[in-house]
Amino acid sequence: MRDLARGFAEALRLLGGGDRELWSVVLRTFAISGGATLLAMVAGVPLGYALARGRFRGRTVLLALVNTGMGVPPVVVGLVVWLFLTRSGPLGALDLIYTRRAMVLAQFLIATPLVVGFTAAAVQALPPQLPDLLAALGAGRLRALWILSREAKLGLLAAVMAGFGAIVSEVGASMTVGGNLRGSTRVLTTAIVTETSRGNLPVALALGLVLLLLAFLVNLLLTLLQQRRTR
Amino acid sequence: MMDVSLEGVAVARGGRTVLDVSALSFLSGTTTAVFGPNGAGKTTLLRVVAGLDRPSRGTVRIGGARVGHDRGAQRTALAFQEQVFIGGSVRRNLDLALDLRRVPAAERAGRIAAVAVACGVATVLDRPARLLSVGEAQRVNLARALTLRAPVTLLDEPLSGIDRIARTHLLDDLPRLLATFAATTILVTHDREEAFRLADHLVILVDGVVRAAGTKTAVFRAPADRTVAELLGYTVLPWEAGFLAVPPGALRLGDGSPAFTLHVERVIDMGDHPHLVGRVGDVRVDLRLAGGEPLPSPGETRRVSARSCVVLR
Repeated sequence: MRDLARGFAEALRLLGGGDRELWSVVLRTFAISGGATLLAMVAGVPLGYALARGRFRGRTVLLALVNTGMGVPPVVVGLVVWLFLTRSGPLGALDLIYTRRAMVLAQFLIATPLVVGFTAAAVQALPPQLPDLLAALGAGRLRALWILSREAKLGLLAAVMAGFGAIVSEVGASMTVGGNLRGSTRVLTTAIVTETSRGNLPVALALGLVLLLLAFLVNLLLTLLQQRRTR
Repeated sequence: MMDVSLEGVAVARGGRTVLDVSALSFLSGTTTAVFGPNGAGKTTLLRVVAGLDRPSRGTVRIGGARVGHDRGAQRTALAFQEQVFIGGSVRRNLDLALDLRRVPAAERAGRIAAVAVACGVATVLDRPARLLSVGEAQRVNLARALTLRAPVTLLDEPLSGIDRIARTHLLDDLPRLLATFAATTILVTHDREEAFRLADHLVILVDGVVRAAGTKTAVFRAPADRTVAELLGYTVLPWEAGFLAVPPGALRLGDGSPAFTLHVERVIDMGDHPHLVGRVGDVRVDLRLAGGEPLPSPGETRRVSARSCVVLR
């Protein structure tokens, strides 16, 4: 109980005191996980749409694979990415291991199945004849996609939140492929692990609170967007 | 002139031909009912004219211009049988339809108000479209198509799924609405009464093939075969080597020429008149009686005769 209180106090002091290292870790976390989420949306939304609307052989198996992907432990994804990127691995020549890009890649792979799965569910919840209606009204392909996305807004923003939430809070993959290098690949979660192992519990707790706050602010923004009423 | 014509149009779905029309045209300014049983290809015909389905062969023309994948959409307004709406109010749905047809924003409010009053949905304009009753939704569905004022209006079962009273009202309103907002109309129905009340011309579609086409009177007076005759409400009875088609209401109790032997199975009290159900040979016959005449009992046989009939080969 005392530790918790000290953690709170430490968190306030760190945030309020304008601790430069803390802020750089926060910004880095936001940039890596935000970037990975963005990429996962770019790849995952069209895939989810195709899975929801397509009528092709193996569609159900693919959906089951995606749904499995939604539950794969991040550390396993990290391990596989590490095996590919490590100096002696097949992509070792790219020299990406222990970089922020490697972390974005791993987080992208974790978030994409979530985005695909949520998108597919959101699109399947739309009236099935909606694309036909828009086509009959003369909407072009892009315009129709835009309108459909707006209709599926609730689910699509849930996809963003699920994707971002999963990767901003994961530690295994970031640690494995990023290496938790101070000033370079250290993010909030890996910093928490470091401080905990050093016995700096108040600082670890403070970082945890900062992480929660970051997640809350992002989700608040997305939820506001999601719940805005359509006239 | 915005005639709609189909030449050698075939549509295949899942390896099966669902529509096979060698030549068919819908005259500009007329209302045609495409009439036939479920699964006859009626909806497919509308979708082909709207450019939603591409025929595997043949051409569809509207006003001489070929219907491509999206060009057709701009000249047609299609009201689907299923009432599909985007989220939000009825107004938002109508506005989107006009917006997609590039109607300037300044003009849209007026067009929406006019069509809403005409279709009787002015009071629900600001209600969420997906929460309307079936009857209201059917009217909004119609209003959305009509507000486009397209040269060709396509209505798929515009009266399906609504209760009898709402249907009667809409059936009364539709001719006026079509006269105001539509030029050439093609409407699909499996209901004979709807077809005759709403259209000038009839196209009878069975198994994807046009079995009869022309003015109502011409199609009705000369049923081409047994299936068409039955669709039009005739009672088809075996007669000598072929069949006789007796128009609805032309059969009555009593001898005459031609006459048949009816095995009475049920006598139904319809309130204001009695009704006979029975068999002539193995054909089910339904007979409305005037009342006042002596009623047969189930199991009896009676002679019935037709006031008029058509000989089918």
